[in-house]
Amino acid sequence: MSREALQESLSAVMDNEADELELRRVLNACDDVETRDTWARYQIARAVMHKDLLLPRLDIAAAVSAALADETVPAKVSRGPWRSLGRLAVAASVTLAVLAGVRLYNQDEIAGVELAHQSSQQNLVAPQVKGPAVLAGYNESSEATGPMANGVLQGQPGWHDQRLPGYLRQHAQQAALKGTESALPYARAASLENR
Amino acid sequence: MRAIPLLTLVLGGWFVVPAHADEAQDWLTRLGQAEQQQSFQGTFVYERNGSFSTHNIWHRVQEGKVHERLLQLDGSAQEVVRVDGHTQCVSGTLVAGLGDTPNSAARAIDPQKLKNWYDLAVIGKSRVAGRSAVIVSLTPRDQHRYGFELHLDKDTGLPLKSLLLNDKGQLLERFQFTRLDTANVPSEADLQPGADCKAVNLESDKASAVKAAQAWHSDWLPPGFELTSSSARKDPQTKTQLSSLMYDDGLARFSVFLEPLNGAVVADTRVQLGPTVAVSRRLTTAQGEMMVTVVGEIPIGTAERIALSMRNDAAATTQ
Repeated sequence: MSREALQESLSAVMDNEADELELRRVLNACDDVETRDTWARYQIARAVMHKDLLLPRLDIAAAVSAALADETVPAKVSRGPWRSLGRLAVAASVTLAVLAGVRLYNQDEIAGVELAHQSSQQNLVAPQVKGPAVLAGYNESSEATGPMANGVLQGQPGWHDQRLPGYLRQHAQQAALKGTESALPYARAASLENR
Repeated sequence: MRAIPLLTLVLGGWFVVPAHADEAQDWLTRLGQAEQQQSFQGTFVYERNGSFSTHNIWHRVQEGKVHERLLQLDGSAQEVVRVDGHTQCVSGTLVAGLGDTPNSAARAIDPQKLKNWYDLAVIGKSRVAGRSAVIVSLTPRDQHRYGFELHLDKDTGLPLKSLLLNDKGQLLERFQFTRLDTANVPSEADLQPGADCKAVNLESDKASAVKAAQAWHSDWLPPGFELTSSSARKDPQTKTQLSSLMYDDGLARFSVFLEPLNGAVVADTRVQLGPTVAVSRRLTTAQGEMMVTVVGEIPIGTAERIALSMRNDAAATTQ
């Protein structure tokens, strides 16, 4: 291989205009110190022309080559029938992963529903314990602090305490009087009277 | 390839859902009929935030007349006796002037109407009070009402269990039979009110009540809610005129109370008591400051919006 031909190829690679053959030629010649020097010079010349910032003598190729030297070459192992088998295996594992993903996704959904059920079961107890939004039994003692107000209770703190139990009772009783569809409105009304 | 199971799934869902909805509708129709046709007696529990109580119920259908007696078994002996949906006597404190409204007759559950506001579906089977039940879910189509889960008796269609759920699926209240006997018809003695059950006289100043309450309307109501009754009465303690309006969507109900403040300085409040919410908002009218309070089994945001939407027609015409 003539030096001129190589330099031409090098230039072509640098300008991103090299064909497959030229690229191979350059890569094969990369181990040659002289070629690498030429490559570096070309880069400097190019950087000067483009007024680019340049890190001179940064020989990445050498470092990569050194790293690669320790590696075994996998391409040779996977040649032949094993290669296609390997590809098949990859395809199969991808399919499996997709299927598993779908399955898992569905399971997630199911689990989610179950969780929702569970959480509703748990919440059966939780709201009773959860304090602030709830006036347990709406008893007299709660009137000392006033009802759970959204804002700060001002003026006459007794107004809502006087009115709300009556309103709640009237609503519940009226609903109970009107509804025969079940004993539910009656039970609601009765629960307000339990002090 | 994957499209095929997906397609069958989608198509399958398409065909299955209406069938379930129809089935649910049939069950709700059965529920509506059951209480008009089926005699029973039993014990049920009621549970909500901070309250758990047990009750007995005697329900007799004879010659087209429905007699019903309910008695609380723990704590005070709360009692109600009803004949054909009209309350005969009540123990404890009954709010004065209550029920003296036109069309105060009970309305039966109407699945056709409910279908507009709830997704009806049969979601499974269960066992309540030793009886097999069908679970019918009523999922709200908007955020303005709560969902119900009804466990209906397979034999009779009676509600064995009823759960009220908010949008997060949290349980707000539970109504559940622990014993139900549909074989033995309650005796006359079972239906006799106790000594503490005070007779209810629902005839009072009907005309004026309706007139006063009709001066009010809401600019906005959650879809499906209709005014079912309105009343006005003078509070014996405060000597103020209290108007009340009641709305329902065939299942959920709320009341609106309107009371003049007479110069009192009162803050707006919100209270949640189990399934029931109470929201108070001040409203300035031509007659002075009023307090609007919405009480009902509806989400707090909806109650808030209703409270803000109440208008006085009388004020509007005089302005």
